[in-house]
Amino acid sequence: MSATPVAAPEGLRVLRAAFVWGLLLALAVGWLGADFAFSQATLVATYAIAGLGVVIIVGQAGQIVLGQGALVALGAYAQTLLVQAGVAPLLALPLAATVGALGGVLASLPAGRLGGLYFGMSTLAFALIVEEALVRWESLTHGAAGLMVPGFGLAGWQADTPLAQAAVSIVVLLIALALAARLLRSRLGRAWRAVREDEAAADACGIAPGAAKLRAFIVGGSLSALGGSLYAHWIGFISPEQFGLVFSFELLMLAFIGGARRLSGAVWGALVVVAIPQAIAVLRDTLPGDWARSAGLELVLFGAIIVAVVLLRPQGLASGPRSG
Amino acid sequence: MKRLRRLALALFAALAGTSLHAADVAGVSAREIVVGHISDLSGPIAMLGTPVRDGMLMRFDEANAAGGVHGRRLRLAVEDAGYDPKRGVLAARKLVQRDKAFAFIATMGTPVVMATMPVVLEAGRLHLFPFSPHKATYEPLHPLKFQNFAPYQDYMEAATRHMVQAGGYRRTCLLYQDDDYGLEVMKGVETGLERLGQTLFERTGYKRGATDLSSQVARLRAAECDLVVLATVVRETVAAMAEARRIGWKVDMLVTASGYSAQTHELGGDAVEGLYGVSVLPHPYAEGANSQLADWIERYRARFGAAPNVWSVMGYSLADMFVRTAEATGRDLTPEAFARTLERLEFTRDYFGSPSYRFSADDHLGNRHGRLAQIRNGRWELITDYLR
Repeated sequence: MSATPVAAPEGLRVLRAAFVWGLLLALAVGWLGADFAFSQATLVATYAIAGLGVVIIVGQAGQIVLGQGALVALGAYAQTLLVQAGVAPLLALPLAATVGALGGVLASLPAGRLGGLYFGMSTLAFALIVEEALVRWESLTHGAAGLMVPGFGLAGWQADTPLAQAAVSIVVLLIALALAARLLRSRLGRAWRAVREDEAAADACGIAPGAAKLRAFIVGGSLSALGGSLYAHWIGFISPEQFGLVFSFELLMLAFIGGARRLSGAVWGALVVVAIPQAIAVLRDTLPGDWARSAGLELVLFGAIIVAVVLLRPQGLASGPRSG
Repeated sequence: MKRLRRLALALFAALAGTSLHAADVAGVSAREIVVGHISDLSGPIAMLGTPVRDGMLMRFDEANAAGGVHGRRLRLAVEDAGYDPKRGVLAARKLVQRDKAFAFIATMGTPVVMATMPVVLEAGRLHLFPFSPHKATYEPLHPLKFQNFAPYQDYMEAATRHMVQAGGYRRTCLLYQDDDYGLEVMKGVETGLERLGQTLFERTGYKRGATDLSSQVARLRAAECDLVVLATVVRETVAAMAEARRIGWKVDMLVTASGYSAQTHELGGDAVEGLYGVSVLPHPYAEGANSQLADWIERYRARFGAAPNVWSVMGYSLADMFVRTAEATGRDLTPEAFARTLERLEFTRDYFGSPSYRFSADDHLGNRHGRLAQIRNGRWELITDYLR
């Protein structure tokens, strides 16, 4: 007779996660200083929202996506243009997410004919088309010269301090996580997992794989665009080159390091991608001698950490340690 | 007794003043001035990042060896953003809050510059001489931001005008990198031609990182261009020239200062012989150098184990401007006092052959001019003075 592990109740898990992340933030504030730590928290939360889109499409629906940066770009540009046109930033957020959802629909169109890596390649082509369109459509996007982005504000209040920006990002992340978690528990979430495990079997059970994939791209696209909207405000300047293939691969890496099968994987992945290089930079300053300042040291250490994570937690940080 | 008390009071006031000043001005203590530098040591412009950093380190080391600036040592705090604005913002926060940088110098790459400049200025720190063609680096006027890189638009306007007038070209064309850099150059070339009653005859772009420019060169040849302006960097410059020579097209080409590099003739060899370029700062060739320059090259080699290039000179010159302005500001160093001093100093031409840099209370762009050079016998030779 074997003992079956009993999952902790939902409320307890949420409390535990809140405690862990709160403690991490408090430690970061104590160690790095308030503004630096809150800036990191802002970008970790923003990248986590964008990464949630990848987790939904890759980790839940099992589709390879190599051009997610394009959906982030659509959100960033939509948000910027809407705010520039006088729409309140808070109201522009859902509109920008809708643009991302439409982008997701377009990106998923080849899924009807292509599968696996071939479909992944089509998303790469989609990203290239979006980037090219952003460069060429100068009357709207200012092309390669880029756009200045107004600050995020609400009824006269401006999120112009690191603390305010972190607060906005974390609140939006929590809402996105809650909505995504609800979706995963729904019939749609089960359909995604069924398609991921065996598309033919899912089809035989009455699940339409095409529709499930399309919805994954709609949800994933809107989440990544939401992340892009906030990214535009916090960076203050957007240009097409920022959302190139490197950015798409960074998001993919984020999902796999954090754990693509779990929503919290996006947050852990964002923590590694955004905050670890900064932690390395701070530790580097404590080392004696000139060699510590040599070019590339941070990249080498970051690479070593990624390798260690992959070896010790092949399913991502959000999953348990390697079980063999 | 009274005299003793007065002396004690004076001493206390002096000490309090010192500590108050040190506490008040971020990055300036009784013994040190911290200068922040957000570089690209691992991204697409890393080949510029390392020599710029080394040039600045060399000048700061020299200042420190000579006793520092009013007794304060200079420390360059370097962060690598790798051309990523997210890393740039975090690096700026770190330098503002942890390192307490007094000033930011030579931030590299437009996306990084645009993302970090608000962080730097809101913290009340100086934003000096960033590597970006964006106008926002000096306009609108801000008391703490200064730029000394001649805008592509300005010097390419003058260079195109000079070339077309001197060479009698009638069909000027453009091969440009499809980004903010390429667009700035295009504006300059168009303005220069417009002033001569001409228009840009043909234009064709490429994406950054492209290595095959054969279709673009074929298109320009089909248009029968007689002068091709290149808004390219080193590798694309070589690729464009090599392709033109390969197909037997002996057209004159003029590249911006981004292609004015020793690497262009080192990589291109015979294919780039005769290429025209714009120089905003001459390359430091050891052969034929004046005695001061030869001595500087030797010291650079000894310090870093490599030959300096134009970017090393750039870094050294920027750091030199910082040191000289800090010295002229005096012991009471604040960002505002530094900025007002920079507005009244004139940096005359030196042994590097640099242009003169001058700022004013109304104009925080220190230089607008470049000069023409040509690759002759495997090295760049300057063929004009700075063009007005």
